[in-house]
Amino acid sequence: MTDLGLTAFVLGLLALGMRRPFLWVLAYIYIDIVAPQKISWFLLASIPISLIVFVAAFGGWLATDDKRDSRFGFRQVLMALLLVYCGYTTLGADFPEQAAVKWAWVWKALVFAIFLPLTLRTRLRFEAVVLTMVLSASAIIIGGGIKTALGGGGYGSLHLLVNDNTGLYEGSILSCVAIAIIPLIVWLMKHGTVFPPDWRVKLFAVALTFACLLIPVGTQARTGLICIGVLCMLALRFAKRRILYMGLMGLAAMVAVPFLPQSYTQRMSTIENHQADESASTRIAVWQWTWDYVQDHPLGGGFDSFRGNKVRYRKNAAETSGSVTAVDSEVIEDQGRAFHSSYFEMLGEQGFPGLFLWLLLQALGLLQMERLRRRWSKRTGPDEQWQAPLANALQQAQAIYLVGSLFVGIAFQPFILLLIGVQCALWSYLRRIETPQRAVRRGPRAPVPLAVTPAA
Amino acid sequence: MIDLLALGLSHGLLALMAWRLLQRSDLDRDPPPGEGDAEAATVRKPGGRRRD
Repeated sequence: MTDLGLTAFVLGLLALGMRRPFLWVLAYIYIDIVAPQKISWFLLASIPISLIVFVAAFGGWLATDDKRDSRFGFRQVLMALLLVYCGYTTLGADFPEQAAVKWAWVWKALVFAIFLPLTLRTRLRFEAVVLTMVLSASAIIIGGGIKTALGGGGYGSLHLLVNDNTGLYEGSILSCVAIAIIPLIVWLMKHGTVFPPDWRVKLFAVALTFACLLIPVGTQARTGLICIGVLCMLALRFAKRRILYMGLMGLAAMVAVPFLPQSYTQRMSTIENHQADESASTRIAVWQWTWDYVQDHPLGGGFDSFRGNKVRYRKNAAETSGSVTAVDSEVIEDQGRAFHSSYFEMLGEQGFPGLFLWLLLQALGLLQMERLRRRWSKRTGPDEQWQAPLANALQQAQAIYLVGSLFVGIAFQPFILLLIGVQCALWSYLRRIETPQRAVRRGPRAPVPLAVTPAA
Repeated sequence: MIDLLALGLSHGLLALMAWRLLQRSDLDRDPPPGEGDAEAATVRKPGGRRRD
C-alpha cells in the first residue's frame, strides 16, 4: 500500500512536471531527502529514480527555462573547484574502494547544488524549494517526533521510516538538520504564499517545530542539544524583549527536563564530563590523529581516509559510592574510527586545500546572508518584506549546521548543500533585481551615456 | 501506523503544493515591479479561499 502510494506520488509529480518543468527540480529535491526508493521495496526500488529525475530536471531547465536571468556566482565556482579537487583526491585515495562509494553520492550532491541556483529566478521558486525541503524532511521528522513523544527512542534505536544510517536517516544528522530547518519553518509560516498564513498553517508549523525539537530527544544525539542552544542564542539576536525571552526559555527548559527520559539526561550529562565517555574521548583522539596525518599528507588522503587510523586513548570511569568517588582509568585502542567532525573530515580527506575551499564556501555564505539581511531589512515596499527574513533564516540554518557539524562528519550532507544552493541563488537574485533600483538612485549623479545622434 | 500518518500528511501537503504551483503564473516569471505585493499575487484555484 505504501509502495503503491509512493510510486503514484512520484509518478504524479513527474507528470505535473510536463506542464511546469520546474516541478522536476522539486521532485529531485524530494527524492534526495526522503529517498522513497528506500521506503519502497517494489517499483521505485528497482529503477534508478534519482538519476531519471535529475536528467528530467536538468533537461527541463535546458530545453524550456528562460536562462537570461541565470547567473553563475563565485560560490558556485568554489563548489565546482571543490568537486574537481575531490575527484582528484579520490583518484589517489588511501582506500580507493571506499572512497569511490562516497564519491558516488558526493559528486551528485555537489553538481545539483551548483545547478540549483540557475533555476531559482523568481520569488515563488525560492518559496517552492524551501517548502519542498521542509515538507520532505517533515516526512521523517513528524514520525520521529510522535514516536519520541509516545516514549520511543534512544540512541541509535529511534525507528525512523527507514532503518538505514544514511542521509537524513542517521540520528545525529537528522538532529542537526531538524533544528537547522526551524528558522525556515518560521519563514514559511510568516511569508508563505503557496500556503498563506492562516490558523491551519500556523498550527502545522508550530507542531512541526515541536517535532523538530523532539528529534534530538528521540535520537539522544548530543549534537542536537548543542544545536538547540545555538538556535536559542540566534533567536535572541533580534528579539525585542530579550530578557523576557531568556526567562521563557529558561522556564521551558525547567518544565521540559522532568519529562525527558532518564537515559537522555544521563547521556547529555556526558557533554560536561566527556572524559568518562568513550565516544567523546574517541573523537578527541581521532582529531589528534587527523592533525598528525595531514602533516605528512597535506593534500588529504581521499574519502574515508579515517579508515587508516589507530587511536589510543584513556577512558576514565567515575563511580561514586556515598562520599567516595573512585576513578577507574583504562587505555583503549581502536582503529578506523570516523572523523565525527565535518572540519576534521574535510582536513583528513581533502587536506588543507579542500578544507580551505569548504571553509571559504561556508564563511562567504554567512557573510552574504548578513549583507542581504542588512540591505533589505530597511525596505518598506509591500513586495520587499520577504527577502531579509529569508536571508536571516538561511544564515541561521547554516550557523546551526556549522556548530552541529563540529561533532558530526556531515561536510557534504546533500541537504546542507541544497541550503547553500538556495543561498547562492538568493544572493544573485537579489543583486539582479536590485540593480535597476541602484541605477535609478545613482541616476542624477552618474554620467548619462551620450547617445550619438546624427546631425540634422 | 505513525509512519503512515507522517508519510500521508507530508506527501499530501507536497502534492497540494505541486498542484497549487501549477496554477501560479509567477512560478516562471516574477510579476513586473510595482504590480503589487508578490505575496498577495496568489492565484487561487476556483472556489478556493482568498487570503485577507
